[in-house]
Amino acid sequence: MLSEQAPRFVGIPVPRREDDRLLRGNGRFVADLQVPHALAAKFVRSPEAHAEVVGIDVEEAVGAPGVHAVFVGEDFATSEIRCVSRHEGFQESAQPILGIDRARYAGEALAMVVADDEYLAEDAVELVVVEQRCLPPVLTIDDAADPSRPPVHEGWRDNTFIRRQARTAGFDAARSAAAHRLSIELHNARHGATPMESRACLAEFDRATGGFRLYTTTQIPHLIRAGLALALDVPESRIRVISPDVGGGFGVKAQLYPEEVACCLAAQRLRRPVRWIEDRREHFVAAHHSREHRHALTGYFDDTGTILALEADITVDMGAYSVFPWTATMDSGMAMGVLPGPYRIREYSATATPVCTNKTPYGAYRGVARPAACFSIERLMDQVAHHLGIDRVEIRRRNLLRNDDYPWRSASGLVYDSGSLLESLERVLELGDFAGLLRRQVEDRRAGRLFGIGLAVFTEQTAHTTQEFAQRGVPIVFGYETARVRLDASGTAVVSASIHDHGQGLETTLAQIAAERLGIALDQVRVEYGDTDQVAYGAGTFASRSAVLAGGAVTRAADAVAEVLRKVAAHNLEAAFADMVIGPGRVSVVGDPSRFIETRELCRLVYQRPERLPRDVEPLLEASKTYDAAPGTGAYTNAAHLASVEIDTLTGKTKVLSYAVVEDCGPMINPTIVEGQIFGGVAQGIGTALFEEFLYDEAGQPLSTTFADYLIPAMGDIPDFAVAHLQTPSPHTIGGIKGMGEGGAIAPGAVIASAVEDALSHLGTVIVDALPLTPERVLAYLDEARNQGRAA
Amino acid sequence: MREIDVTVNGERRAVAVEPRLLLSDFLRDVLGLTGTHVGCEHGYCGACTVLVDGASARSCLMLAVQADARNVDTVESLAPDGVDLHPIQQAFKDCHGLQCGFCTPGLLMSVVELAETNPNCTRDEIRAQLAGNFCRCTGYHQIVDSVEQALLTIRRTADAE
Repeated sequence: MLSEQAPRFVGIPVPRREDDRLLRGNGRFVADLQVPHALAAKFVRSPEAHAEVVGIDVEEAVGAPGVHAVFVGEDFATSEIRCVSRHEGFQESAQPILGIDRARYAGEALAMVVADDEYLAEDAVELVVVEQRCLPPVLTIDDAADPSRPPVHEGWRDNTFIRRQARTAGFDAARSAAAHRLSIELHNARHGATPMESRACLAEFDRATGGFRLYTTTQIPHLIRAGLALALDVPESRIRVISPDVGGGFGVKAQLYPEEVACCLAAQRLRRPVRWIEDRREHFVAAHHSREHRHALTGYFDDTGTILALEADITVDMGAYSVFPWTATMDSGMAMGVLPGPYRIREYSATATPVCTNKTPYGAYRGVARPAACFSIERLMDQVAHHLGIDRVEIRRRNLLRNDDYPWRSASGLVYDSGSLLESLERVLELGDFAGLLRRQVEDRRAGRLFGIGLAVFTEQTAHTTQEFAQRGVPIVFGYETARVRLDASGTAVVSASIHDHGQGLETTLAQIAAERLGIALDQVRVEYGDTDQVAYGAGTFASRSAVLAGGAVTRAADAVAEVLRKVAAHNLEAAFADMVIGPGRVSVVGDPSRFIETRELCRLVYQRPERLPRDVEPLLEASKTYDAAPGTGAYTNAAHLASVEIDTLTGKTKVLSYAVVEDCGPMINPTIVEGQIFGGVAQGIGTALFEEFLYDEAGQPLSTTFADYLIPAMGDIPDFAVAHLQTPSPHTIGGIKGMGEGGAIAPGAVIASAVEDALSHLGTVIVDALPLTPERVLAYLDEARNQGRAA
Repeated sequence: MREIDVTVNGERRAVAVEPRLLLSDFLRDVLGLTGTHVGCEHGYCGACTVLVDGASARSCLMLAVQADARNVDTVESLAPDGVDLHPIQQAFKDCHGLQCGFCTPGLLMSVVELAETNPNCTRDEIRAQLAGNFCRCTGYHQIVDSVEQALLTIRRTADAE
């Protein structure tokens, strides 16, 4: 119960608490840790994509200067990473820590050199000789379907992890009744999160306790501990995972990696701390890739453009192994669930097939399947509009969910809680000056310039918990998060949480929540995270859920502590507990602000004057709580994006000229941080749309291994953004807040594709059906449009 | 090993180093100045940017021995502990110009150079001048805001003096 005078922090754009240390160069990233006697590890990686390992000659490397050990697959053969979906028919993969008799992707670690420093370790890596006998590689979705190719994993019936199907009861009837049908096939290139900090870890083995301590660049410390416990066959109580400052994650740091297990095993064998710092080239070939989807879609619709049924065949190229903790079903399952998107599509039939190939394993990246799903459904809407001669905005107005449709059970079974889709669409047309862009297009076309406008609307499932993840068949169900709030005798608070902050500003937003609930100043709260010894359990930071779930857990724990403060204050003021109100910096009697005790004094009393506590109060101002956001189906953020682009007709280069976003993530804890998340997501999405692609040659050799081959957006590639907010609260969450961390990255692929297609539309009809829109691809579309225009 | 005599953040350091030691590793591992971060080790991302005799340089593309008899300034030079943030740092804090903070030190050093060479630049010029510093978190908009504010503060201070 908060006093009317208590300061409010939630909803205010306070500056971030973490900035000072980061700006001064005082951040503490894994590669910054200096541990006495630490050795450096480097990996020997398979040069071939698919090969039998005939032999590995380590003799010369073992004798090289400064080398302590060279480990090969057999040395670590008792450990493996195996993540098995609970869905029936899933074909299991066992990922070795170091490849033993087979290499399944170019870049797979086959040996590990441990030396006095990184330079000496890299020297010795050059001396290891790997002898391999090549096997035909499986490199594409088509290869995976080709029965003449060998299985990537011995004993598999084919190269699919699983094939799942779903169909609504009325699908066949709706399909038959539809006056029109339209089919398109859409391709998203393999690319990835590519944070500025690559991976790193530092493992220590405690000989006294037989326990491990692993510092690692992870978003999910407790899940890494769970995975290590399985891989090392050690109880969780003997593993401590610490993830200090982390230089960006975006999903790629939300999986257990073989290198983490290898460093633990090496530290145990050598009885010295072992650190590994991934170099950028390794990151491109061995950190998990993402986003490689192929969707074959058919829309069935009537004369007005109302979509009556949707059919989808979803295939995702998952690379060589099922990753922990998500399994290989993550992307295909998510795509199957979210494809109907923000539209009133009642009938749906879908198949989802994650396939196994000789490429880098596939993990999470901001949005997980939602960018591909948004790309697909929005591309389909544009084609339906074109087919019927309806405006792109109008087709969306006709099909978007209306506010009185909520709660909406989607054709795939998701329950959308709330939203403001039509309003966000109308607002973005104003914010992005759609009318002005249309005028400019007329002028530009007259002058021979290719100017296009694109838009997309989407819903973002966020803060989904137990019920949703249980359905997905993951072996560990990621429901709740945990927080512990403790007030010390000085009246300052420490909040510990099971989530991790690697740029999202949770160190600040969780402090805002705790300070408000405890009625104390913001600078009296410290937020800690990224240490499995601090809170019992939790999942970590992914899936746009930390602000909702950790925020909810902090609220619950802080309220429990505040209740103790109120009891102690009531006892010492000889007033009724029910009359005690919290803050500012005090607990007072409601309606009589002159009767109060300062919070700081109450804290001192609890710990140092226990004789002044009521009989039912322990001398402890600490509470641990979890929060699960029942019913677990998620809080739905929605947004509409509008952009304009110009295409250089000579080079095919597409430049984004303007970009507007109207987003509704419910009440905002810190609006500046929300906008930063949107901007960052959109820029990554522009990378998806225009630049980013992990290319392989026909032998499975990765061709994108430097920032010269793999382009991420630089400052000059990104325009200024316009952003506006709607705030529709979720009925399911504490404070009505919704997650929003991924949203920015979901729509840009669809938006930019729509804009490029629009820029070419006066020349001829062309369907932009593949990303990224590199100059090469855009020139091909331009030629196609011109040829079609001439023929027509 | 080779003796070098290099001035880092105003302090002279005479150290024997391996000729192949990178300047970035020298700063981080030998001197313990871990504010300089290494993002790619091939000169593209700009995270490791420091000033060498006042000009920005990729410390991952330079050997420590090449810094012999020269002045190197890192992010730690901007605001020693206990001292108020440098106007550039303050602007980044005020405008939410950083998220994970990994690319930030290199970016700040590039902005120090920009403030010296082109303190009146427009938003477009800022974007062009700083295109060699990648950031994967912010989407750059609030970085450009930060740099605009920092340059304004620096110009006002210069005018006042």
